[in-house]
Amino acid sequence: MRRAHLLGLGFMAPALLIVCLFFLAPVIMTAVFSFTNMSSGTGISGGAYEVTEKTVRRLPEHGFPEAKAEMLAQDVYRIDPAGLTALGAGYGKALADEVGKSLSGKTFNGRRDLERALKKMKARPRSIREIKVAADLFKRSVLNTRYETEDAFVAAITDLDLKLDTSERALLSKVAYTGWTWTTENYELIATLPSTLRAAANTLTYVGFTLAFNVGFGLFLALATFYLPGAQAATFRAIWILPRILPPVIYIMMWKWLTWDTGFISSFLSNFDVTPRNWMLHSDINAWVSIVLINGFVGASLGMILFSSALRAIPSSMLYASEVDGASRLQQIWYIILPQLRWPILFTTAYQTLSLLTSFDYIYLSTDGGPGSSTEVWALYTFHTALNNYGGALQYGLGAALALVLVVIGIAASLVYLRLFNFDKLVAKPRIEQ
Amino acid sequence: MRIALENFTKTFGDTAVIENMNLEIASGEMLALLGPSGCGKSTTLFAVCGIHRMDGGRLLFGDKDVTSVPSQNRNVGVVFQNYALYPHMNIYENIAFPLKIRKDNKKTIDEKVQEIAELVHIPELLDRKPIQLSGGQQQRVALARALVREPDVLLLDEPLANLDAKLRLEMRSEIRRIQQKTGITAILVTHDQVEAMSMCDRIAIMDKGQIVQLSTPKDMYENPASEFVAGFMGNPPISFLDGTVDENDLRLANSSQSLPLSSNISLPNDGETLRLGIRPEHFQPNYPAKLSGKISFIETQGREVLYDVTLENGDVLRSIQSSGMPHAIGELVTWGIDPDKTLAFAANGSRL
Ligand SMILES: Nc1ncnc2c1ncn2[C@@H]1O[C@H](COP(=O)(O)OP(=O)(O)O)[C@@H](O)[C@H]1O
Ligand SMILES: [Mg+2]
Repeated sequence: MRRAHLLGLGFMAPALLIVCLFFLAPVIMTAVFSFTNMSSGTGISGGAYEVTEKTVRRLPEHGFPEAKAEMLAQDVYRIDPAGLTALGAGYGKALADEVGKSLSGKTFNGRRDLERALKKMKARPRSIREIKVAADLFKRSVLNTRYETEDAFVAAITDLDLKLDTSERALLSKVAYTGWTWTTENYELIATLPSTLRAAANTLTYVGFTLAFNVGFGLFLALATFYLPGAQAATFRAIWILPRILPPVIYIMMWKWLTWDTGFISSFLSNFDVTPRNWMLHSDINAWVSIVLINGFVGASLGMILFSSALRAIPSSMLYASEVDGASRLQQIWYIILPQLRWPILFTTAYQTLSLLTSFDYIYLSTDGGPGSSTEVWALYTFHTALNNYGGALQYGLGAALALVLVVIGIAASLVYLRLFNFDKLVAKPRIEQ
Repeated sequence: MRIALENFTKTFGDTAVIENMNLEIASGEMLALLGPSGCGKSTTLFAVCGIHRMDGGRLLFGDKDVTSVPSQNRNVGVVFQNYALYPHMNIYENIAFPLKIRKDNKKTIDEKVQEIAELVHIPELLDRKPIQLSGGQQQRVALARALVREPDVLLLDEPLANLDAKLRLEMRSEIRRIQQKTGITAILVTHDQVEAMSMCDRIAIMDKGQIVQLSTPKDMYENPASEFVAGFMGNPPISFLDGTVDENDLRLANSSQSLPLSSNISLPNDGETLRLGIRPEHFQPNYPAKLSGKISFIETQGREVLYDVTLENGDVLRSIQSSGMPHAIGELVTWGIDPDKTLAFAANGSRL
């Protein structure tokens, strides 16, 4: 390898490291998580085996015989050697022998029956309380008992004598497992859940309208300031950059202040007998308009700056030429200026599509997806699913799958744009020549 | 179409670039606006085509006052110094642009573009983009675009400045040919007196926003109105000798030599300063009024040789002679001047 190659590699090393650390690694982790059913219920470390009321309720849904599920939930007491040994250790050999002789092998449903039988024993404990404790030694139910290994769990189930076949036992183990497991279920969910469809539609609306506003308004601002006298144009541009440099939280606070039902718009309109309302969340339309404007006013400044500099790169003699050739302002814009802004426009569109696809900060701060989930875009839906929701049931696995879909779409879009731009050419030659 | 500027004034901010300029160009005439860089030639041109608003005065095309007519409606063709071709359109679209804006139908456009392309000799280039053309070809395209809608007036802003010497020569005659063929009224802006003299019917020479002389090339060369004009016209340039008037002679400054003055000059009083302009072709070995000096520079131009002769007071006279008479640098020569061919100027630069 030549020295120049090594040097090049040396220069690239920090970038490569950062790409690996902050892009590749997270994407791979996300991909891994997306094939699990991790959630705040399962935790992210291993789990245990436990039959709860909820397990019992869910079992029939998975095809487990209902009768056997019922039995799982019952309090079963059986007089077996293990119980007798424990009884002997606690309450003396006499009682154990006596119980063994008269009750061995018997099964009681519920503690009360067993207590009654125990009371008949000669060597019985004095107090009722002690009898209850003694009866519990024979309790053979698995309900609400944690088993750390599958073997222990299976042993306990076998003990119950439910006459399960192998597949039923496997099913029971699976449902009773409290930890996470590998699964492709997340992707099936994404394909079928109405809420993901909704999020996808919302994302299209969001990206489409915001992009149109950003590019359109940015172009309008650039053209308007281009034809304005210098000082006015500079002031105008500065004003439109303000939203960009405002901290997002403060920017959104001001929007909220503007749109609250006691905010500026409501107060102002109350002069005209308009009922005060929350202008941001009153209806879907309100929410969408707010979101497009909030994002648009921030995003338009980027387009404005790019377009303005591109405009000023057009030689003034070219504009003069089109004027004496008879072109009006509009024709000048249409035939001379816009064709020469093609690259900046394409670039802004591409860049903003990609950033809008993944951005949800302003939506999170303003409507948080509301009202309902009418403005919940894919990225925000992912965030809600995996990291932050009211119920508190966080589905890490599903969230990771959702995020991965976004990553894939983003990469695909980037490739399309690179192709469209013919990026090598774009960097190689200036697009505005004399 | 006749063009007339009456009391034209143009200011940028507080500075008046042009004040009260009057200029009339006859129909079918080609006029040169000649002057040093920054004297206001382009400003005048841009006022005529309407790109700059006039701050005072009137502009007439024919008898029509077009002072406040927007440039779109003036029907002028302009060739810009950098050609200002539209880079995203091919040559055909560039030339067709004024017609397309005017909403001519496709067939008319096609005919006119082909016709004008023939006229400027570029019919084979119509499919190319401007960036694929040489400077001279771009120049022709710019000319074609300016002429295609048969404008009343053709304006050319330093059209040859960006071309190499050979192309400049070729395009000089080419533009003149096209102008004469179309019979269009044209204004040529240039800082090159050779261009102005060789291409135009008349020259308006400008200095600091003023037209200092308006005349035919020949007259302007032979009868410059001021020292400025004399110095501007002619290549190689005229040389000047300073001195004081002593009866009918000029006593050269810091020198014992003197020269007889022509009787054509209205002489100022004795003792006043006077500046004599002598063109290189009027300082020759066989002319009567002799001056001695040392050859300080020789420039061989092929058919002719240019000598710089430094007089004893340090002033330099130029002489252009046909080659064949070998002289060497440092040689002492005594050559003569024809007093009747000299140009005399007062201290303020005006012609005497
Ligand atoms: N747009 C402008 N703003 C301010 N000053 C200008 C402008 N255009 C030209 N000038 C000034 O006017 C003077 C004449 O310019 P111009 O007509 O371009 O000269 P030229 O004779 O070289 O074409 C120059 O001093 C120039 O600096
Ligand atoms: Mg100029």
